[in-house]
Amino acid sequence: MRENLAGIVKLIGISIILVALWVLMIRMTPESFLDSGNIENLLRRTALFSILGIGVALVIMTAGIDLSLGSIVCLAGCFLALFLKVDYQPYHSAGVYEISKSKATFLIDPLDLEVVESGTSPTDARAEDVGKLAAGQWVRLYQTKRSRSGMHQITSVEKQSANGRVLLTVAPAPARDETADDGTLIAKIAPALPMRGFSEEDGNVMQVQAGSGSVPALKARDRLWLSDAKGRLKEHVIASTELKGDGQDVRSDLDAPIVPTDWFWVGLERRQFMSVRLAVLSVLGIGLGLGALHGCLVTYVRLQPFVVTLCGLLIYRGWARWLSDDQSVGFGNEYTDSLSWFSLGKFSTKVPWASAEWELNIPFVFFVLVAVAILGALLLNWTIWGRYILALGRNEEAARFSGINTGGMKRLAYTLCGLLAGLCGILFAMDSGSISPSNQGSFFELYAIAAAVLGGCSLRGGEGSISGVIIGTALMQTLNNMITLLKIPNTIELVVLGGVILLGVVFDEAVRWFFSWLGRKRRG
Amino acid sequence: MVTQTNATNFSRLSVRQLAKSFPGVRALGGVDLDVQAGEVLGVIGENGAGKSTLMKILAGVQVQDQGQILWEGQPVSFANTRQAMEQGIVLIHQELNLCDNLNVAENLFLGNYPTLGGLIDFWTMYRRARQSLEKVGLKVSPRMPLSRLSLGQQQMVEIAKALSIDAKILIFDEPTSSLSHSEADALFRLIDELKARGVGIVYISHRLSEIMRLADRVVVLRDGQNAGNLQRSEVTHERMVQLMIGRDVSKFYVRTRHTIGDEVLRVDELRTKAWPQHACSFTVRRGELVGIAGLVGAGRSELLRTIFGIDRAGGGSVHVAGQQLALRSPRAAMNAGLGLVPEDRKKEGLVLESSVVRNVGLAGLARNAGWGGWLNGRQELADTRQAMADMRIKTPTPWQLVKFLSGGNQQKVVMGKWLALSPQIMLMDEPTRGVDIGAKQEIYQLMEGLASQGRGVLFVSSELEEIIGIADRVLVMHEGRLAGEVTGDQMTEHAIMQLATGGSS
Repeated sequence: MRENLAGIVKLIGISIILVALWVLMIRMTPESFLDSGNIENLLRRTALFSILGIGVALVIMTAGIDLSLGSIVCLAGCFLALFLKVDYQPYHSAGVYEISKSKATFLIDPLDLEVVESGTSPTDARAEDVGKLAAGQWVRLYQTKRSRSGMHQITSVEKQSANGRVLLTVAPAPARDETADDGTLIAKIAPALPMRGFSEEDGNVMQVQAGSGSVPALKARDRLWLSDAKGRLKEHVIASTELKGDGQDVRSDLDAPIVPTDWFWVGLERRQFMSVRLAVLSVLGIGLGLGALHGCLVTYVRLQPFVVTLCGLLIYRGWARWLSDDQSVGFGNEYTDSLSWFSLGKFSTKVPWASAEWELNIPFVFFVLVAVAILGALLLNWTIWGRYILALGRNEEAARFSGINTGGMKRLAYTLCGLLAGLCGILFAMDSGSISPSNQGSFFELYAIAAAVLGGCSLRGGEGSISGVIIGTALMQTLNNMITLLKIPNTIELVVLGGVILLGVVFDEAVRWFFSWLGRKRRG
Repeated sequence: MVTQTNATNFSRLSVRQLAKSFPGVRALGGVDLDVQAGEVLGVIGENGAGKSTLMKILAGVQVQDQGQILWEGQPVSFANTRQAMEQGIVLIHQELNLCDNLNVAENLFLGNYPTLGGLIDFWTMYRRARQSLEKVGLKVSPRMPLSRLSLGQQQMVEIAKALSIDAKILIFDEPTSSLSHSEADALFRLIDELKARGVGIVYISHRLSEIMRLADRVVVLRDGQNAGNLQRSEVTHERMVQLMIGRDVSKFYVRTRHTIGDEVLRVDELRTKAWPQHACSFTVRRGELVGIAGLVGAGRSELLRTIFGIDRAGGGSVHVAGQQLALRSPRAAMNAGLGLVPEDRKKEGLVLESSVVRNVGLAGLARNAGWGGWLNGRQELADTRQAMADMRIKTPTPWQLVKFLSGGNQQKVVMGKWLALSPQIMLMDEPTRGVDIGAKQEIYQLMEGLASQGRGVLFVSSELEEIIGIADRVLVMHEGRLAGEVTGDQMTEHAIMQLATGGSS
């Protein structure tokens, strides 16, 4: 600690500037700056960018650079949305290969009937289900090419021995001929079951048959199609279900689906690609993997970090846009269901010296930063790995000559940086709720690098501290806030940011020069 | 001293009482030299005798503190290489000063392109380039990219470049160090030709056979001063070696005899990357100080670096106290009980911007670390204080930045880093380079101390006096191979120099 006197002086200097900015803001616009929401927002943004800054600071300390952070943030967000994507499909359905109006028939392949049942072997189940599609059974046609959908009653079922397909004769007849000669799938049908009734006292409770055999057992968050014989359709999200004898009470999210009992229902199963926990871990894994890849390219292939991560910047951005077809991706209901508690969540507390109605809101993200910062500071100051990273940043040769695995340490730094970028990708995606792949996270790498440099990291390597990065980020976010609150034209924002960073670096150089001069004077 | 100046017949180039000092070192202390037109003057001397400094001053790379340079009797001074070139003096460096990415003609006229209305006049450039290349007998197209030329051909290009600006004095600094035999022969023939054309040539080399082949006169430098001049008829291998070393060894080296134990380092058929054609085998025993002598570039540093796992070995094996050492990484060598004090202290030995404690502690961090790489700062500080006391490192606090320490103290910090690990064998590459006299003696005592504790010390030194003064045994290297070994009474500067310059002992 004591050797890094210049670093401490720099840290104090930048802290003074930060506090001065705060004082200035409080004097100029006390109401808007000290507004609970504004402070919360400032804390949130500082937390988010600080985590990114800590990652890149580790790399900068090894005299490297990571330009791909913003793109990793975007890619990680896109992957998170992709992994959490939810799809609703009927519990049982079969593919339709031919629709003929003249003969009022569908040709279906019963092998497509997806039976989600345990206890019976799949082949048996299918054979049994073909039996279920008996005359009198109602089916719903959906997902057709020409938006043909509706309810049909089966009048006869005929098994074709040639290809194992089944010819259904239905009434009413399909609206139009539609024949796929090449035998490809043109629509799907799902068996529809009759409703039992509706609760008298509670309008949005429906009674259906309990799950058994080919009747699906519905779960909360599944969906329900309600149709009448004419093919009218209502879609409901299931809030809860309750077993009652051989029936099931289904509570809908909508009020009063007042429909007569001659309606039919099709249960739609909610299928998510990954659970939230698995998705988060996978995205962190992707970030970690990309970081490790950068590290390997830098150490084994001996490419320059600038070039490696510049290529990363382009590749990951392009990858994210390709993954999402360059469309905004969101989380749908998933956001309110399982993500927003965290991203919107905050810890509120009254502050004794403030007015009664003012409360301090600390967003949960800030606690993530605290955890990351503590771990980072432990790594840097209390483990030998931190020492190695700082030593090799200053003189890689000397570190290698001292028996340090310099390549391994660099890979560690890049890997941690990638991991933190992945974490930030998740946090930023959750913060905004949706991601537009062409500009999510753009320029973030530069903000992170700028914050690290402001906070005392030297691009020459071997210098810097976690606290410096956080203070640097806070300074940049305060400036940003100032520009917004003081109604300085938005267009000048980058000029102010750039100017402040430049001043910070000049200050850094001045401190360095001063201590060098002091050292020489003391010695000579 | 032979002086060929008189009122009517000046030497083309004369040097009178030239002196130059660097911080802590007196590189030249009043040197005289004369070069005539149409002669080859050989300049020889041990490493550090001042040859390179002298030549750099003549070529305008450095400026002398005292003394005069006379051009045909008139005093001249060169503030930079350009002025020296304009006068007609060109230095052909050990490492060539050419641009790989340009072609031959572009290199020839670099900085001096013929122009036509502000644009490069390529037509004239290639025509004149062809003429220049003809002069040195190099049969390549002027449009050939330089990178496709052999080193010998590149050197010819550099000479052609010198001739194209009408050089009257050419200085060659170890020109054959990277040339093949036939390329060297071609160079010698060219030098003969240039001489016949009236160019004055100064030829610096460690290879005494080349000096004997070429030189009309030889000037011997020692410790920055003239040690003697030899006329053509007097030039013999014996005579040159005698003049290069002839000094009395002072009572500087006080040697304490210690018991020599069993073998601790065994090197078998080790091949370095720089000299894969030669395999080196030798041993070091406990309590033994073994010196490696040789000229600069003989492969001594490469040998130590290969043992320590910094350079890849080209074959062979190393055993430390009977255990085979994986020649893979410095870490493996360190764990096997080796330590290396590297040749370039500032680049390879120290983290200059860090403190004494960080530097001394660096190698021992892993050994002292607790679970999960937890830092043991207390042990680090204790080791540092121990090293500061044992080696009398002069620093106000352990937190002083190393860059503010003197050379000797910096070297002690490098040694302290390894001593904290109690290595079985200490490898030291030029341990006293750039260190003042007092610190030198302390370093010798530390080396003796290591030996007396039963450790092996293997060190490289270019100072013969030092190596004879403290080593129990000297291995002599010449062009990548162990040319011989001298012990006891055979350890004379004469014998070592003979081996080091390729003669037989």
